Amino acid sequence: MTGTKVNKSVADINDRIRRGDAVVVTAEEMVEIVRNKGEVGAAKEVDVVTTGTFGAMCSSGAWLNFGHSDPPIKIQRAWLNDVEAYTGVAAVDAYIGATKLSETRGFDYGGAHVIEDLVRGKEIEVRAIAYGTDCYPRKELKTILTKDDINQAVLCNPRNAYQRYDAATNSRDETIYTYMGTLLPNYGNVTYSGSGSLSPLHNDPNYETIGIGTRIFLGGAQGYIFWEGTQHAPAKAMGTIMTIGNLKEMDARYIRGATIEKYGTTLYVGLGIPIPVINERVAKTTGVSDEEIKTDLTDYGVPRRDRPILREVTYAELKSGKVEIRGKEVPVSPLSSLKQAREIANTLKHWIEDKRFFLSQPVEGLSTDQVFKPLKQVTAVPFVRDIMTREVVTAKPSDPIASTAKIFADRGFDHLPIVDARGRLVGIVTSWDIAVAVGTGKKKLSEVLTSKVITALENEPVDAVARRLEKHKISGVPVVNSCGELRGILTSQDLSKLLGRRGR
Amino acid sequence: MTRKVLLRYSTQKATEPILASVIKETDVLPNILYAEVSTKGGEILLAIDAPDKEVDKAIELFKQEGIEAQEIKRAIQLDRDLCFDCGACLSLCPIGALYITDDKSVELDDNKCIYCGLCVPSCPVRALKLSKFW
Repeated sequence: MTGTKVNKSVADINDRIRRGDAVVVTAEEMVEIVRNKGEVGAAKEVDVVTTGTFGAMCSSGAWLNFGHSDPPIKIQRAWLNDVEAYTGVAAVDAYIGATKLSETRGFDYGGAHVIEDLVRGKEIEVRAIAYGTDCYPRKELKTILTKDDINQAVLCNPRNAYQRYDAATNSRDETIYTYMGTLLPNYGNVTYSGSGSLSPLHNDPNYETIGIGTRIFLGGAQGYIFWEGTQHAPAKAMGTIMTIGNLKEMDARYIRGATIEKYGTTLYVGLGIPIPVINERVAKTTGVSDEEIKTDLTDYGVPRRDRPILREVTYAELKSGKVEIRGKEVPVSPLSSLKQAREIANTLKHWIEDKRFFLSQPVEGLSTDQVFKPLKQVTAVPFVRDIMTREVVTAKPSDPIASTAKIFADRGFDHLPIVDARGRLVGIVTSWDIAVAVGTGKKKLSEVLTSKVITALENEPVDAVARRLEKHKISGVPVVNSCGELRGILTSQDLSKLLGRRGR
Repeated sequence: MTRKVLLRYSTQKATEPILASVIKETDVLPNILYAEVSTKGGEILLAIDAPDKEVDKAIELFKQEGIEAQEIKRAIQLDRDLCFDCGACLSLCPIGALYITDDKSVELDDNKCIYCGLCVPSCPVRALKLSKFW
């Protein structure tokens, strides 16, 4: 790189570390230094900026090699504490993924917890089955292992350390449970992840120093970046990295199995990257502050790939604990631990100062223009408008019970939407409501209708509505447009017809 | 200071208007934080914001009426050994009893806590526990 006033190599910086005169600061400390001394001044003064993050990283897992039994087995399927591991690689290798759930304990225990238990040196029950071959005759195996009993235990994570992440909120009038945590109704709270100014990748967003072969802090041990992470999207400030490190050397303080309520299990991973300040460009990016890091406040109430964005928020706002939505102050939950992120940046700083950690020169750079493509789908996703019944019999709130009961009997349906004079949905009456109304001598529909109606929109995917029916234990929903006007009805019968079509 | 009092009703006592009569007699205005009572008995958790003397008097009156009345100091427990200060619980607490300190640690203010239990399942490492009263 040319055109810079300060030029240091990674080798120069390692020499200083060896001599004990390298200046190492955390990314939070660097914000002030760049503010006070400018980029060039900061680049001259500081040699290394340490970063850190401690967050839920679902895309994590570990490669394990069990060694061979006698007689040997070519494992076809294997379970570790009842969590299935992937074993389609040779005979006794397995990959235990963080989000795989226990077959006996559900959301309370998953692959992430197996990984934490391995790090803690706990005993793990291994069960395996096989079809048996001439060279691997054994068909079943049951044993108990710790990390010391197995050959390799390697944490190997396809996607870690998102540069930043969307902040989440919920427009629906019900609480939803997402991978971004519990989201209260009607924008009742906001959750976010990432450590902002301490974010490893946000401190070198141009990948000038971070690349393949970069030595990092991973789970309390020294690990490496070995590729760009899956879904790496640096152009959108959503870069990610693939990381690898020896699980046997890790510390359970920085590798924690966790459960996100009604969502599943995940692994909290502690990760820190040292950024060598090779020039003033890098000094500038490591000086990034929470005020400068923006992310999208996104509505997770809409279960689509492209969720609506409410507005931009800064990490400074998010970290303040309150965010304004539509003129209202809303409480914020971080999902990653800023305290542990700081601790990691400080630990990495001390390792370097104590000459226990040296920086590595990447052997290859990471892509800076990669984009994250959506899934190519060969079958069209059906929308509500594609399968709903459009000809709907409706009634008015003032209609008498007696004549309505006759409609139910003649037409053989279960749901009668009630609309006002302008065609707007004001309630629903079911065949059960009519039975009760007749039995109790009610006169008008307005006396028995349910006015809080669960509805669907025409442009919603059918899957989202199917989940709604299941959740509320109902068999049909009126379909309305954005003005609340009735457009049709979608029932579980319509959904079963669709399943029949899918089967063919 | 608001004090929290747990009342335990036996089958015999659950049909009598004891809470109402204690309110009438003492003028305290208890807030019901939690209640699970039927004719089979049950319990009610009250928050009473009144001078200590009056709260003591109310507790005494409940006891005289044959209700097991007991002051509760702490019902939600935050296990500091398990907690790693992620803060997932913070925005779910309706009254800000869970808060973050200057050094970014998560803390629980027992005085503010109304034992709603909303925070408990949100903890990814089960560091928040709600003690059952019975």
